[in-house]
Amino acid sequence: MELLSFMAAPLVATLLMGGILVYFGIHVIKREIVFIDIALAQIAALGGTFAIVLFPHDHEGHSHEGGDFITEYLFALLFTTLAAGLFSILKNKKVKIPLEALIGISYAVATTAMVIILDKGAGSDVHIHDMLTGAILWVSWDQILRLAIIVSVVALIHVLLRKQMIRLTDNYVANEKTIKRKRLLDFLFYFSFGLVIVEAVQIGGILTVFALLIIPASTTLLFFSNWRARILAGLLLIVLLTIPALALSWTWDVPASPVLIFFLGITLLISGLVYQLKKR
Amino acid sequence: MDTIIFLGPPIAISVLLSMILGYFGNHILSRGIIFIDIAVAQIAALGTMIGLLLGFADESFGLQMVSYAFTIIIIGVFAFTKFANQKIPQEAYIGIIYCLGLGLALLLAERISGGSNYISKTITGNILWTTWKDVLISFILFGIIGVFHYFFQKPFRSISNDPAHGDSLKKTRLYDMLFYMTFGIVIVKAVPIGGVFLIFILLIAPAASITLFTQSWKKRLIGSWIIGAVGSVIGIFLSYSLNISNGPAIVCLLGLLTVGLTLLVIVKKSPVGNA
Repeated sequence: MELLSFMAAPLVATLLMGGILVYFGIHVIKREIVFIDIALAQIAALGGTFAIVLFPHDHEGHSHEGGDFITEYLFALLFTTLAAGLFSILKNKKVKIPLEALIGISYAVATTAMVIILDKGAGSDVHIHDMLTGAILWVSWDQILRLAIIVSVVALIHVLLRKQMIRLTDNYVANEKTIKRKRLLDFLFYFSFGLVIVEAVQIGGILTVFALLIIPASTTLLFFSNWRARILAGLLLIVLLTIPALALSWTWDVPASPVLIFFLGITLLISGLVYQLKKR
Repeated sequence: MDTIIFLGPPIAISVLLSMILGYFGNHILSRGIIFIDIAVAQIAALGTMIGLLLGFADESFGLQMVSYAFTIIIIGVFAFTKFANQKIPQEAYIGIIYCLGLGLALLLAERISGGSNYISKTITGNILWTTWKDVLISFILFGIIGVFHYFFQKPFRSISNDPAHGDSLKKTRLYDMLFYMTFGIVIVKAVPIGGVFLIFILLIAPAASITLFTQSWKKRLIGSWIIGAVGSVIGIFLSYSLNISNGPAIVCLLGLLTVGLTLLVIVKKSPVGNA
């Protein structure tokens, strides 16, 4: 019973993140911009760090609530918006290099800029580590409520615009010109994605978010081509793997997200083998 | 004068790194597998941690061999998945390998004293601690790999330009093995010196900047050498006078340069002349 009450919140959080991330995962794999979420997460973190430097508060209290938190969040949002604008501009026929290269460069610049800023302060080691793994086991119901609200808003936008969004992504690499208000739509895509990332990374850490984004979407790609089937199959996969991963991390006393990532990886490996055997 | 003596080895090593990474960068960019070096570096780091767990001493020869063994295994997997399943893009595989490598490293970090420290060290690196001996060893190693690539330049280049080119699958895989293995050796050597981000930016940013303006291999190669070397030297002096870390300074300088140039190309009305 103790285990059950302990697992409820992380499980709900993972499912909420997983559902929306599988959907975005299909988009980013098709667009061949796999590492975009790491870049967006890092840029959002840079925004948060900027806020701390511009409006220093005493670190004694360690409370992440109230005014400080709101300023940090607004800055993270501002930086994400700027990045969304930048990425939608950078996708241009005149640019002869893959967008992924520019995404990688933004990621590197955002991370090292943060190192430069934090060098003046202290505790950069801890910060980097926390951002990678997160603490999904300690997620609070307040955080889940916020996550749920953001996920529903973003999901609603994408349900309403599903035809345009899917068409945009299907033609992304070919860079078709005929789509109406393409740039605005693209901006909306990156912005809504950024909103989800900012929220999800705070809960699950960069690595978990990345794994939930890429691995289920890749695995289901082997067996389904239809968007709805892939999202549902991906979600089912996440449910089936999250429960044993959380239980194991509880009994062995290890962090939950590496275990979940490991499970997801193994599932992909087995699916790949099954797919190869079926093909013969 | 003291400054020059003090900054000598870091400048020498960053120029050396710009040379070899600028060359590989053009290949990586043409192949569209931008994040491969981060994945390889992560797997090498994982190998080192497993070596430490197995009881090899820190910085010993055995430990390095374990790290290389891991790198070679993963590169084998990578060369193999290239044609096994074209449904999933290669970049997705790279992402997954990176993710699994880092996830496992984080799990192991809990079991090794100072393991978490080790992860941070891989991320940042520090070229200020480079000695002339490091420079010499790197020079010899990179030189051998450079000569090797000079002899195989034609097949390597044609695979990079067009993955589905004429050669048989078996032959392509063999060349790919050679390519990625030499690349892996360079990355495993370079990451402890400069850290993941410096290596990544020296690999991608100069090659990307020059590719905006020309498609000719020769011009791209020379251009990325110049951009990489000049950028790192300016970055080192800048970091010295502003008293900030050198690696991050170079990364920000070269990274912002590339993004700036890209925006410039977009704003310009007429398409830039192709070579």
